[in-house]
Amino acid sequence: MTTTLETPKTKLPPSTHEFADIIHRLEAGGAMLPDSPENLMQIIGIYKAYAVPMDFYWRDLLYIAERVFLEPLPFFKYFLPKEYLDLHNHYAGDDADLRIWRGEATAHPELLEFMEKGEVQRKLPKLLHHLWHDRVNMEFAEECMRVMLWHRNMYVPVNRFDPYLDSEEYIANADRAIKAYFKHNPLMMGMYKLFPEMFIEQVRQMSYYSNLGLFWEIMAPVFFEMSDLYDEGKLTSVPEAMDFLVNGIFAIAGRPIYHHVYIRGECYEIIPKSKGFTWLYEAALPYVEAVFYRTSPFRGTKSYNAQAKQVPDDQKDFHYGILYADVFPVGTAGIPPTLLMQDMLHFLPPYLMDYYKQHCRGEDDMLIQLGISFQRSMYCVTSAVIQALRTALLYPLDDPNPKHLQANRAFFESQLDRFKRPEARLRNIQTPDYR
Amino acid sequence: MLSVLIWLPILGAAIIGFLPGIFSAKQVRTGALAITGAVLAWTIFLMTQFDPSNSGLQLQEYLPWIETLGLNYQLGVDGLSLVLLALNSLLTWIAVFSSKVEIERPRLFYALILLISGGVAGAFLAQNLLLFFLFYELELVPFYLLISIWGGSKRGYAATKFLIYTATSGALILAGFLGLILLTGASSFAYESLAGQALPLGLQVILLGVLLVGFGIKIPLVPLHTWLPDTYVEASTPVAILLGGVLAKLGTYGIFRFGLGLFPDAWRVLAPWLAIWAAVSVLYGAIAAIAQKDIKRMVAYSSIGHMGYVLLGGAAATELSLVGAVSQMVAHGLILAILFNLVGIIEAKVGTRELDVLNGLMNPIRGLPTISSLLVVGAMASAGIPGMAGFIAEFLVFQGSFVAFPLQTLLCVAGTGLTAVYFVILLNRTCFGKLDNAIAYFPKVEFSEKLPAFILVALIFFLGVQPTWLVRWSEPTTNAMVAAVPAGSVLGRVGGDRPIATPPELIPMATIPTLEP
Repeated sequence: MTTTLETPKTKLPPSTHEFADIIHRLEAGGAMLPDSPENLMQIIGIYKAYAVPMDFYWRDLLYIAERVFLEPLPFFKYFLPKEYLDLHNHYAGDDADLRIWRGEATAHPELLEFMEKGEVQRKLPKLLHHLWHDRVNMEFAEECMRVMLWHRNMYVPVNRFDPYLDSEEYIANADRAIKAYFKHNPLMMGMYKLFPEMFIEQVRQMSYYSNLGLFWEIMAPVFFEMSDLYDEGKLTSVPEAMDFLVNGIFAIAGRPIYHHVYIRGECYEIIPKSKGFTWLYEAALPYVEAVFYRTSPFRGTKSYNAQAKQVPDDQKDFHYGILYADVFPVGTAGIPPTLLMQDMLHFLPPYLMDYYKQHCRGEDDMLIQLGISFQRSMYCVTSAVIQALRTALLYPLDDPNPKHLQANRAFFESQLDRFKRPEARLRNIQTPDYR
Repeated sequence: MLSVLIWLPILGAAIIGFLPGIFSAKQVRTGALAITGAVLAWTIFLMTQFDPSNSGLQLQEYLPWIETLGLNYQLGVDGLSLVLLALNSLLTWIAVFSSKVEIERPRLFYALILLISGGVAGAFLAQNLLLFFLFYELELVPFYLLISIWGGSKRGYAATKFLIYTATSGALILAGFLGLILLTGASSFAYESLAGQALPLGLQVILLGVLLVGFGIKIPLVPLHTWLPDTYVEASTPVAILLGGVLAKLGTYGIFRFGLGLFPDAWRVLAPWLAIWAAVSVLYGAIAAIAQKDIKRMVAYSSIGHMGYVLLGGAAATELSLVGAVSQMVAHGLILAILFNLVGIIEAKVGTRELDVLNGLMNPIRGLPTISSLLVVGAMASAGIPGMAGFIAEFLVFQGSFVAFPLQTLLCVAGTGLTAVYFVILLNRTCFGKLDNAIAYFPKVEFSEKLPAFILVALIFFLGVQPTWLVRWSEPTTNAMVAAVPAGSVLGRVGGDRPIATPPELIPMATIPTLEP
């Protein structure tokens, strides 16, 4: 398999950037990921495998934000009730606000089948599946939510969501919800009196549950639709896949981001839709920055010594996200990728399964292979975000004005500067041998 | 019955060597496995026929050959040779199993391995000094060819060095044997006729010294060891297993059988110096191993150190130390075989043996987790962790030797501590840490490749928790050898003119009262 680097269609002299080839590719409307049938197959197959557990993630995130809320012992928060499995996705099904996926609005059939029988392929009590860890790993989704919370204040002032969480209005809304939730629980009410800030911080976390749930509610049908289009032969290249994502981003950029809590049948609007927080600026961009780039040193099998400066002082210098992560399950960093890889393993399309069997150790190291495909696919998503930002903030790629093209190039170069770090995987994904 | 152990592999070597070229390497390997398997089965059968309570020679065979030279075909087995025969048969099978399925020139390769097996068995069984010498020399050329044809990049140099050293070893041993015959005026090389010789002590010391240097090269002992690192490292995995697991034991066997057995009085004189020599070998081997950057070379140096324990046990020549020394020969053979097997797999899969390059092989998906785990077990066994064969052997040696040579024993105990040091370095750099994502595309290790290590680990654990199975065969024989050494012989210190400080009533503690099954 060969990778074709597009010739820049611009009138600018060649870039002297370390990643000049990739910058030229972006200027030609391509992605950071080289365009090849093999790459396309990997990223689309992974989108499909990612979308099925994501269909669970967004439903459960909303369930926790809206129903479980501040439950002190939320043992059953991953036991999604039928109501939320039947919840209609706003971007799929006949009654969609905007029908991105042509499939059903309720939970995906493959997800329901897995939830019933699990990896063991036996219908057992749900508690046994849970304790055996034969289930969708919500821990991954919660970790993503947590890093978004932890890396708050990104994109301020464009992102108005975070400042709002510190506003008097938000605290008053949260206070109402807390008092209603613990109305019959004097112990917790007493605790609230003693440690009000702790409870408010917990509500902020719940707001991020809602934020991420609403973000992924869109991404799941986007990925399902891309998979279907690929199966139908209508997505034939990596740039086409990226363009689909860019178009999707703009189509749904204005989707409201809110946080509602339902307590004894009554809805408490902690973040009302009327605040005008939108999907692109208050959810998508912070998500990409927090999860793809930054995350946190995962407390896994590798220990980081902050005193020895192994962890940066400044949060903005964190680079543990999937674009940088070593997807090996031992000595790794970033969000717990093994949990996501384990989830995706259950829903791989057959063509990707066959592909992995042909390489490296076949079935034995499929988790790693799909993790690296996931890394490739996230470079494609990040490319879409970069192109979308360029579209929103700068100039068209075929702009006749060289100054505008130079501005575009400066933007691309500044984006790719973040991948100069040695741990960045941008260099690796340029070759098919990185598996 | 004993001849089968010699002639079945030699016959097998002839058959395999002259097979027509239509047979694939895999088929030839299967044939070699069948022959070595049959030899192993026959050895197990012989063990069932062996009476462990009898300290003398058993299952003897005699055939007159060239009587004018005093050379007769005279075989016999006792507790000392039986365990080493079993080790030889097992490790030959393991070596064949550890060889590459698609090895080049398979007929010659397996024929040479079988020839070595037959030669080594003959040496362990021979009860005639000249016959022993013939078998002892028989393995020289096959080993030379195995190293020089299938070895690493410096195989020519290593093979020549091995040839020169071991030829010198053979010449010294022959000189010692001829000297013994000439000086005693014996008409035969028969062991039993020479065992009761009454040469003057000075001559005995000289002859024993010649044999010690001759066999010392084979073991090898410092400073006669310089052939070993190059040879072990350049030899392919199966050959390294045979070199370390079996060939080195010919040296210690020779020292015990022909040194301690034929010259007990001289042994008494030289024993303190032998103990010092053992301690120097142990410490040198361990310290040199710590300095290595190549894991195979590290294992090779560890072998020098561990063979020093055998010499220490022999030098002390108490009932306990001698049975410990024999146990150490077996334990060392098993442990070195597993270590070389695993290092060979790592080299084959990862493509390097360099400590500075290897890392994170314990990674459960892209690393070699089972091999790494087995390497940890092998290292623990080598470091003498309780519950494994290495501990039993070293413990017996140390406890048995301490009453005779406390200082030398303590130095050897320190050597055991150093063993843990270099194996921790090896494991820490090889198995633990972070596997490099960019290079971790190692081929999968198939179950059949792991099987030899599984068998060896099972034996190491079994003999560790059931040491009776390790010592029961050799204990009566070694006790008889100790009894032949003049009383109080090894209880002198260096210089030999002062009595040992240990009260005589404490000496019986060094015996094994409960080792009978």
